[in-house]
Amino acid sequence: MTGMTYGSWLCLLAPLAGTILILLGGSWLPRKFAAWTATTSVFVAFAGAIWAFLGVHSVHQSVCLGTAPCGSRGELTTAWTWLAVGHFSVPLQLLVDPLSTMMMLIVSGVGGLIVLYSIGYMEGDDEERRYFAYIAFFVFSMLMLVEGGNLLLLLVGWGLVGLSSYLLIGFWHDRPSAVAAAKKAFVMNAFGDATMALAFFIIIAHTSSLSFGTLNVQFSSTQSNLIALGLLGGAVAKSAQIPLQTWLPDAMEGPTPVSALIHAATMVTAGVYLIARTHPIFEQARTIELIAAGIGALTLLVAGLIALVQTDIKRVIAYSTMSQIGYMFLGVGVGGYANGMFHLMTHAFFKALLFMTAGLAIHALAGEQDIRNMRGLGKVMPFTKWCFLAGALALVGIPPFAGFFSKDPIIASTLDIGWYGYVFYACGLIGAFLTGLYTFRLWFLVFPGEPGPFVREHYHDHHGREGAWTMLVPVGILTVLATIGGWIQFPPHWDPITKWLAPVAPSLPDAIASSTQETVTSIVSVVIGLTGIAVAWAVYSERKIAIPAVPSVRRVLENKFYFDWLYERIFYVPAVETGNFLGREFEQPVVLQTGPDLGEGTLATGGLVRRIQTGLLRTYVLFIAAGAAAIVLAFLIAK
Amino acid sequence: MLGPDVAWYVALSGVLFGIGALGVLIRRNTLVVLLSLELMLNAGNLSLIALSRHFHNGAGQIFALAVMAVAASEVCVGLGLVVALNRRNLSLDVDTLSELRG
Repeated sequence: MTGMTYGSWLCLLAPLAGTILILLGGSWLPRKFAAWTATTSVFVAFAGAIWAFLGVHSVHQSVCLGTAPCGSRGELTTAWTWLAVGHFSVPLQLLVDPLSTMMMLIVSGVGGLIVLYSIGYMEGDDEERRYFAYIAFFVFSMLMLVEGGNLLLLLVGWGLVGLSSYLLIGFWHDRPSAVAAAKKAFVMNAFGDATMALAFFIIIAHTSSLSFGTLNVQFSSTQSNLIALGLLGGAVAKSAQIPLQTWLPDAMEGPTPVSALIHAATMVTAGVYLIARTHPIFEQARTIELIAAGIGALTLLVAGLIALVQTDIKRVIAYSTMSQIGYMFLGVGVGGYANGMFHLMTHAFFKALLFMTAGLAIHALAGEQDIRNMRGLGKVMPFTKWCFLAGALALVGIPPFAGFFSKDPIIASTLDIGWYGYVFYACGLIGAFLTGLYTFRLWFLVFPGEPGPFVREHYHDHHGREGAWTMLVPVGILTVLATIGGWIQFPPHWDPITKWLAPVAPSLPDAIASSTQETVTSIVSVVIGLTGIAVAWAVYSERKIAIPAVPSVRRVLENKFYFDWLYERIFYVPAVETGNFLGREFEQPVVLQTGPDLGEGTLATGGLVRRIQTGLLRTYVLFIAAGAAAIVLAFLIAK
Repeated sequence: MLGPDVAWYVALSGVLFGIGALGVLIRRNTLVVLLSLELMLNAGNLSLIALSRHFHNGAGQIFALAVMAVAASEVCVGLGLVVALNRRNLSLDVDTLSELRG
């Protein structure tokens, strides 16, 4: 055991301890105590993550001097053998390596800020303690996912984050829409879990092991394709990519900090982590990896288009999340794992920031989420306004904000991989335009100008401030991170993250853009992003350009490309019809009727037979005698 | 071989059994019914012993002993019931004791 392994165990177990303490304490604990227990436990986890990071960093420094790629794959620490069946055994082990420490830092760092923010946001809710137990449990599950030292533990974390996501989406269980959204998210995620499990079965059948090392084994092409497809199914479901994306917008029914933590910063990006973590198998099945990139490109366009017509502030940001995860899929799909992970990190900063500023607005307007009612909010909430602006600029990718540094390398990295690379490149640039348009549509509709009647009527501050200090401090910290968080990497001149991840997930040579490509792409995408902002300004602020009235297109977008409609027709309606048919034709006549029929038959038989039971001794004797005589006769005849 | 042929014994046993059975069927007095039952059991014993001697096989006599034991226990229970009925001043007529009619 070295420092980094202590750090990793501390990081994993602190939130679990917090959860258990809150659950055991129940209503004995004061509400504030539960809230601070959860917050402290996540910050302790962050300290553990830093400890682990420093440990890995020193190994990195000592082993990997120079520019040559080094073979350090971090350290596996095994607690005990968890499952052992014949030759197949799975230990309970944690993996501390550059990739997992990076995720640990993001999850516990951003997570800590968001749990702190929840203290103010959930103040006065009836079930605060349950909320904080769930959210600490989520952080534990997510850390389990990223620290798990083999595929099975990864799947355990994968399932647990699905569970805690379900619990938190349906947190306000008296709202039918929240319960429905929670079920939808759970079912769609279960689909992904199932495909992942199938992929694991193939791996076990082939190598009888589930350690990450087995992924380097040479599989036959069918096997590797099937495994990669199964893993991709899990990634697509968890990260809300087409065709399993419809649960994410509905998941906005949960409390806003949950949307910020689970449905923007951490859980939904687990698919990107999965692809980066299992990249050897995706590289064997290059077609599937490119399909992942294609799915990302398609999702970033579709989600960007849908975001243009949404009117709920959280749903706009949710579609933007889908779109940004599309970029990450594009990045890791073409083989630029460092690009995808870097965008994952900056996205966690600025998207959590956007959700939390939206949460400040919603909180101050007594739960209102419709952006058409929020006009002129910036006048009364200047702090929220400027923080949101920083997040929005980071999202669009305007230098020097974080998104600029992480998004452009992804777009630039598609140029060398073949003709479809150009398609991806075009998608990425169109996506950049859409990002500028929908983000600043939100901005111009909500913040500038004089406060509208709704805002004047419903705005209420928190003791003269825009929110409790527990809400404002994390927003401030994330604003700083969304502004400068991207500066740690500026490829190709300055690439610490690529170097950091190189021992675990070295980017494919094709996916490393040349200096010219980077420069050109950066300039083009910034210009395109600014064009998007300008169009949004002209359309939604100055009203110089009318919104093109194409009812058919508008209808398609408002119905989210009819995915929900389609799934209802394909899965829900046939299932209900089958159920009704079986209920009508089988359950009613057969299952429900058998019991009463049996009972009635028994009663009728009994009614007949009981006449024999006269109660007269002599009748019985007569029967016995007659029976004996009959037997004697039978013997005689038989003889 | 001394004495009558085994057929006579069997015939006598049959006659005794018939008388017993008729007694159980026809008579209403519980005591007489019990008596008739004893007659039937002893008819059985008679044929068992007769045939045992005829076939030089001791098993029949052992059976007869077992039947006697059963008969003794049966009489115990039967007489016990009769005493119990009498104590409650209930009729000893078997036809009136028909509460178990279905």
